[in-house]
Amino acid sequence: MQEEIPLEGGSGWSQDQRAELVLGALVCLVVCLLAAMLAFVLHEAWPSFSHNGLSWFGNGGSVDNQIQAIFTSGDVKGAPVYTFHAWPLLWSTIIITGAAVLIAFVSSLFVAVFVVEFAPDWLKRVLEPVVRLLASVPSVVYGLLGVLILVPLIGNDLITQQEKVSVNPTIQLSGYGLLAAVLVLTVMIAPIMIAVFADGLRAVPRNWLEGSLALGINQWRTFWHVAVRTARPALIAGTVLATARALGESVMLSMVSGGVGFAPNPADGLIFFFEPSRGLASTILFNTEELDSPPMKHTLYAIAAVLLFSAVMLSFTGWAAKQPMKRYGMVA
Amino acid sequence: MRSTTRRLALLATVLGVLALPATAAARQVLIGSGSSAEQPILNVLFKAYSKLHRSIAFVYTPNGGNAGVKDVQSGRSAFAVNTRPPLPSDSGTTQYKLYLDGLCVAVNPANSLANLSVNTTKNIFLGLSTSWSGIPGSNLSTTIDPIGRNSTAGSYTFFQSAILGGKTQASNVIPQTSDGLVATAIKNDANAIGYVGLAHAGSGSGIKPLTLNGVACNATTIKNETYPLFRYIWGVLPTAHPSVAAERFLDWLRTDHNAGRIIARAGAVPAFNK
Repeated sequence: MQEEIPLEGGSGWSQDQRAELVLGALVCLVVCLLAAMLAFVLHEAWPSFSHNGLSWFGNGGSVDNQIQAIFTSGDVKGAPVYTFHAWPLLWSTIIITGAAVLIAFVSSLFVAVFVVEFAPDWLKRVLEPVVRLLASVPSVVYGLLGVLILVPLIGNDLITQQEKVSVNPTIQLSGYGLLAAVLVLTVMIAPIMIAVFADGLRAVPRNWLEGSLALGINQWRTFWHVAVRTARPALIAGTVLATARALGESVMLSMVSGGVGFAPNPADGLIFFFEPSRGLASTILFNTEELDSPPMKHTLYAIAAVLLFSAVMLSFTGWAAKQPMKRYGMVA
Repeated sequence: MRSTTRRLALLATVLGVLALPATAAARQVLIGSGSSAEQPILNVLFKAYSKLHRSIAFVYTPNGGNAGVKDVQSGRSAFAVNTRPPLPSDSGTTQYKLYLDGLCVAVNPANSLANLSVNTTKNIFLGLSTSWSGIPGSNLSTTIDPIGRNSTAGSYTFFQSAILGGKTQASNVIPQTSDGLVATAIKNDANAIGYVGLAHAGSGSGIKPLTLNGVACNATTIKNETYPLFRYIWGVLPTAHPSVAAERFLDWLRTDHNAGRIIARAGAVPAFNK
């Protein structure tokens, strides 16, 4: 019936107006859905937060024993138990995500610079699709590679018997731990960063670079000081995107990070890198079978709320960091 | 106007094609839920049963045995499959023994250990025994790497009550989210020990099941209930007005010899109407 309505004027709305209306409604719908989801998660999470107060984020006792006490209290229909101190899980998420993002950022930046500016054309044509493909590999594939190759390698070749004895029976060092988790996570998020960084670097106006070259400044310095500086909003956008993926990663990390609620201690020296832990997202995955126990459900929603809040803060920080760079005239 | 008509005709055709299978087959869909550990065996049984009875189709949600019982109580599922015996909280349901399964304790083939007592197993998983040098029969003198299941798994609950006397697995036990990952971890680490379902301890698994208190972990010892870690898998139906089709399916599963053969091939032990 579309063809019969006049494009402009007449009795009805113009096509532009209708498109605007439909798109506006869709945006409102998405925003409403998001708000509803936030409200729902916070509502479900409230019992866990209100019972524990700020000590929810603190350290105290074995978090795994607390989780077990929480879900058994729901199964036997007694008084619900809510005591939960999430510090080991928070700490695990912070160090694994932090280390992976840091390593991935530095390496991705150099790879992106190479791909955009220095690689010969034939190599560019190979590298670009490869990076995009790597960015879309499902995380469980990386998890499998980690479990089958990296974890046995670390467990059998890097960890010595003395190191294992020194922490036994508190924890087990067998390859499942920080090192494996950080390495696999880095490999997982680096392609996302490279893809976004490269897009940002390519968008830098060519004549800016040519201007610099014409002044006799060499290619490396030109690119580093002009292109990379200009593309900083893209660097932030890529980092925010990759950090969000790392924060929410559950399947791969639950396979290689060790799965125990233990807070790795940097004071342990070299052993620190081999210590097992379990992050927030993996904890949700580990305990989904007990969602029917009401206190466990509220606790898992509380974890989800913390993850959601971190994601929101991450986007906000990214936005705030981009503001002072607006004067460079590039927005990513 | 013509293009609109054509579009409408196309839409009608597409809708017609979509509606066709629903009307032609008119299958009865049996909704079940429960144990995730038993899902591989159940999937094979569903397929075989649907082949025998073309009018029956299955939808099974592996949300855990306890959740399955609650689904039957609330009428969300026609049947459930659970790995623990009935509890007082299961009121309003009738439960049947479907078949048997066993939890095997296994080590890496590089370990010369062949037998373990229930008590030593308990000490290892409670973190009291930490070195292979303290375990008679083992050629290793290294640290023991115990591998377990995550605390919400049915196998964990079963192991906890049958071996650990209700105590919690020690913090040096690395928890895995599936039996397959436990088997992989044992295969890749000479110092490892772990527990997996019978289906995961077969000859191709690359791990070595131990005898427990001198009794091997196999179909025979599980069937005659001499192996310490045998367990029944239970079928759950509502006591009031159970679905006739679900009842028939569970009856076939626990009495029919073809079903028994399928169960045995899938890695469990038929109980034949015990």
